[in-house]
Amino acid sequence: MNHIVSIGTSHHVAPIEFRERLAFSEEQLIESLQHFRESDQVQEAAILSTCNRVEVYAILNSVRTTEAAAKVLVEFLSRCHRIDMESLKKWTYLHHNVETIRHLFRVTSSLDSMVVGESQILGQVKDAYDTSRSAGSTGTILNRLFTKAFSVGKRIRSETTITTGAVSISYAAVELAKKIFNTLEGKTVAIIGAGEMSELTAKHLVANGVSNVIVANRTYERAVNVAQKFDGIPLAYDSDLNFLIDADIVISSTNAPDYLIKRQPLAKIMRKRKHRYMFLIDIAVPRDIEPDVSKLDQAFLYNIDDLEAVVASNLQDRQQEATRAEQIVSEETKRFYDQLQIFQVNPTIKALHQQFREIADTELQACFYKATLSDQQEEAIASMAQAIVKKLLHHPMRNLRCAVNDGDADHGQYVQALQELFALDVNDENPE
Amino acid sequence: MINFLFLVTLLIYLAAGIFQTLSLAIGNRSEASVIRPAIERLAFWCTIIGFAFLTVFIALWWLQQGHFPMTHWTDSTAFFAWAITLIYLVIVHLTHLRTLGSFVIPVAFIAILISYSFATHTAALPEPLQTYWLLAHTTLIFLAYAAFIAAFGFGLMYLISERKIRRKVDTLFDNLLPSLGISDELGYRCTILGVILLTMGVIVGSLWTQYIRDVPWRWLDAKVISTLVTWFIYVAQIGIRQFWGWHGRRAAYAAIIGFVAVLCTYVGVDLFLDSMHTYR
Repeated sequence: MNHIVSIGTSHHVAPIEFRERLAFSEEQLIESLQHFRESDQVQEAAILSTCNRVEVYAILNSVRTTEAAAKVLVEFLSRCHRIDMESLKKWTYLHHNVETIRHLFRVTSSLDSMVVGESQILGQVKDAYDTSRSAGSTGTILNRLFTKAFSVGKRIRSETTITTGAVSISYAAVELAKKIFNTLEGKTVAIIGAGEMSELTAKHLVANGVSNVIVANRTYERAVNVAQKFDGIPLAYDSDLNFLIDADIVISSTNAPDYLIKRQPLAKIMRKRKHRYMFLIDIAVPRDIEPDVSKLDQAFLYNIDDLEAVVASNLQDRQQEATRAEQIVSEETKRFYDQLQIFQVNPTIKALHQQFREIADTELQACFYKATLSDQQEEAIASMAQAIVKKLLHHPMRNLRCAVNDGDADHGQYVQALQELFALDVNDENPE
Repeated sequence: MINFLFLVTLLIYLAAGIFQTLSLAIGNRSEASVIRPAIERLAFWCTIIGFAFLTVFIALWWLQQGHFPMTHWTDSTAFFAWAITLIYLVIVHLTHLRTLGSFVIPVAFIAILISYSFATHTAALPEPLQTYWLLAHTTLIFLAYAAFIAAFGFGLMYLISERKIRRKVDTLFDNLLPSLGISDELGYRCTILGVILLTMGVIVGSLWTQYIRDVPWRWLDAKVISTLVTWFIYVAQIGIRQFWGWHGRRAAYAAIIGFVAVLCTYVGVDLFLDSMHTYR
């Protein structure tokens, strides 16, 4: 019987020092897949290697026990990366059959990711699967498993909202801007001061369509440095704030001890810019922008706490949604496993039927050859033979199917017993 | 038969109104992420089917009366609902913003409800009014009203989103309402459309009175004065926006004031004042 096993490590169980030792380089990956393809023990294999996780999925059918199946993979990793068994046991997890399926479904749905709902993992798993498939190391079962995993991942993304809502400050700012302006195309962002966070936010805004960047700094050279990164316009900071007339989005992060942007001067500027919307993001502590600014009609002010609150609430939403996603995963896991069981039992059933029918046919031919019978007699005997075959197979087949449908763990032994007792030659690679 | 058809129309509009409101009320709260799109679709299709039924009803009513039905509240309010739905469907076709329906379809439903409650009344249309002038005049005016109601809907949408953004509430990122800029811009365009239609309607009406019917022009007609006040409110709004850049929240409030003026002109004048436009 087939064992679906996976071994792996992720940010949940192992520190970066271990994960990087286990990571596969491109060469190693191809080599290992090659190795699996030629191996007698491993029928199918796929390797997923990203910066947060390294996982090997495999189908083994020459081993009898789960432990033996696990051992094959542990030994492989140990040999491939020259890691001692002790640390492997300590920092990795092993999954078997249903648990492997559930795990892969959770991974592709990003439920196992560091940030639940992140969008990269689905693509990463797809790439990993494509590499493994083109290396020829996957087969019927893994092909089915991964295809299903992608559809589960998509289902969860469309039926739950785990991927929506910004979970970083800079993305929260972009989403807010999209809620205010009808389009970000042609808008201008002004960065006052400098800092990683404001540059990152500006970068995301530019990626979302904002076309002009103004950088104002007390030191002109610094302004030039930052402006270069965005193809923007550097300015020496001037307290009359006239450069804000053209700014639709203002990101302020200076070390100034007092408010730089106050309500009264800004009101004048708003009038000069014909009251077009202005979105002000104050990520400085102490704050750069007077809170009263938000009382101006078309000015929207968010400070660092506001943005963090948005992020926190989005994270909480995702967490809630994750519970619903887990239910979908459980449901899909069970359905897939059941289908897989039936799929795996089918070849045996087919082979048994075929064997019985062949024996009956041979004997019928022999019988017809020996005796001279009328057409009518031949027909009667032939149908009797068919009926005997059918009745002999009826109970074993029914019981086998029942065992599969009930999720009886022993059906694997039934299948094996059938194959051995009747000397069946079951071809696992039967086409869909 | 025709009454039954009208009842069915009323019920479909009721369903449309309920589903439209529901789809907005649910928002995109997580538990509802599967059913909300379904409700939204349902609401939209109810609106389309309701509109088709209403069109058939008005056509049959027209045939039965033998002239353009515009004599009684029954006719008038049914036509009002028809105009609102038509403008809504055109806007959805152009912008895909179905959410607007949550604000305007309930208004259309109330109009039909009023119409239905008068449904048995009919009145003869005086001979001199049975012309295409009446058709053109009323159609233009009602389409203008409908455009103003759409502007009102966008105004409400603007105020709701603005409130969410200002108060920094966590349902901030639901994607049902368009951005402030879009609500504002579309509300403005609806206002312009309404003003153009209203102007044309008034011109048609006055030419008709002046040259065709040869009736003395009554400046003191309550409906005329009220309409001019409404017209002025909207024109002033456009002018102030152009010259002083008033938009956003102030424009949204102006759209609401305009809506009240439209209601006063349409309903109030008839109920409380005498006018040559009164429905019987």
